[in-house]
Amino acid sequence: MRINCVICGKEDLDKDTIGINKKLLGIDITNFYCMECLAEYLGCTVQELLDKIQDFKDEGCTLFK
Amino acid sequence: MIYADNAATTQLNKIAFEAMMPWLIDEFGNASQPYSFSRKPKNALAEARATIAKCINALPEEIFFTSGGTESDNWAIKGSAFADSNKRATITSAFEHHAVLHSCAAIERLGYPVTYLMPAVTGIITPESLSNKICDSTRLVSIMLANNEIGTIQPIKELCEVAHSYGAMFHTDAVQAVGHIKIDVRELGVDMLSASAHKFNGPKGVGFLYIRKGTKIAPYVDGGAQENSRRAGTENVASIIGMAVALKENCDCLDDYLTSICMLEHQLLSMLSDAHISYIRNGGDKSLPGLISLSFAGVDGEAILHRMDLAGICISTGSACNSESTEISHVLKAIGLDEKHAKGTIRISLGKNNTADDVNAIAATLIKILK
Repeated sequence: MRINCVICGKEDLDKDTIGINKKLLGIDITNFYCMECLAEYLGCTVQELLDKIQDFKDEGCTLFK
Repeated sequence: MIYADNAATTQLNKIAFEAMMPWLIDEFGNASQPYSFSRKPKNALAEARATIAKCINALPEEIFFTSGGTESDNWAIKGSAFADSNKRATITSAFEHHAVLHSCAAIERLGYPVTYLMPAVTGIITPESLSNKICDSTRLVSIMLANNEIGTIQPIKELCEVAHSYGAMFHTDAVQAVGHIKIDVRELGVDMLSASAHKFNGPKGVGFLYIRKGTKIAPYVDGGAQENSRRAGTENVASIIGMAVALKENCDCLDDYLTSICMLEHQLLSMLSDAHISYIRNGGDKSLPGLISLSFAGVDGEAILHRMDLAGICISTGSACNSESTEISHVLKAIGLDEKHAKGTIRISLGKNNTADDVNAIAATLIKILK
């Protein structure tokens, strides 16, 4: 199923973007943000989100690629 | 960065750090060697042992240095089992630290029976629940002094009296409590007590096990005559000295610390209430000062943790998610917290370095996430 950004409409969000949305907003969410809109919403930088994604991957979290 | 995860570890006390330095470079001698170069480290170890003993009202010869709380717990559980050829039973609780639970599982595999007591919803193991399970064939009761996730302080003195009335020994994992509340082993009546230095502003990788004189326990680490032939391994002199200095500092300042930490705790909870944030305080008011376990219904605790982290605040959670589900901690399961709240549980643990400004920022960030 294709998932789009609820704010800017960016299409077909990738697995990492969907994973970080679930990790930071809750596992059961139905609305997703692209990386830029998520960073804006959370008041952080895209790089900080990318660092988080890498941490989760290093832990072996299967929500990510 | 605001550090509010002091139940996980604490910052090394600067005075303790400075006290450690000479023993790493100049006075590096092996404290167990017979030549004069080893006299200073040997004497320093004796002094550290006496300092630690005094802090918990023990005798110096009842303090045994270990690599930390995990080893101390392993030694207490397995060492007391291995000294018992009759393989009598152990009683512990279902919400102990894994250092105790996994040690109990290990002796179970060797044929030693283990019974697990369930805490009340308040997070307390009652003396009545122990009385219902204990019998004359019980060798050891091991109940933690303060729970590491929800902070509840157990009625150790009363539990100990029940154990002793059946001829059983009593061990308490006091890793979370030592250096944070007053502890008197004589008053508690315990036979063994585990502690870890990094939980009370000492260095990591060192701890101790208090073993009351006359307690039957086999060595756990074999290979040398150190620690009165009961725990082998070259003494970690610098860390032991750091541990003693850190513990003495914390004990000397305990009253001021408790006053300040209780004020910060009150400030945090008041700010949440004022913002109409609905929460459950796990463990209620019988908890370690500064250890605040909060559950929010319908929220993801791990998401809160990571969003606090993005805001530069370190806290902990009581659940962790994988791709399929959210795994709830054994402690929250044991106290029977409903799944809706358990998934939304976080632990904020304040320490001696936290300020009112820190608490303002923690509360404000938390409110922003939860609103």
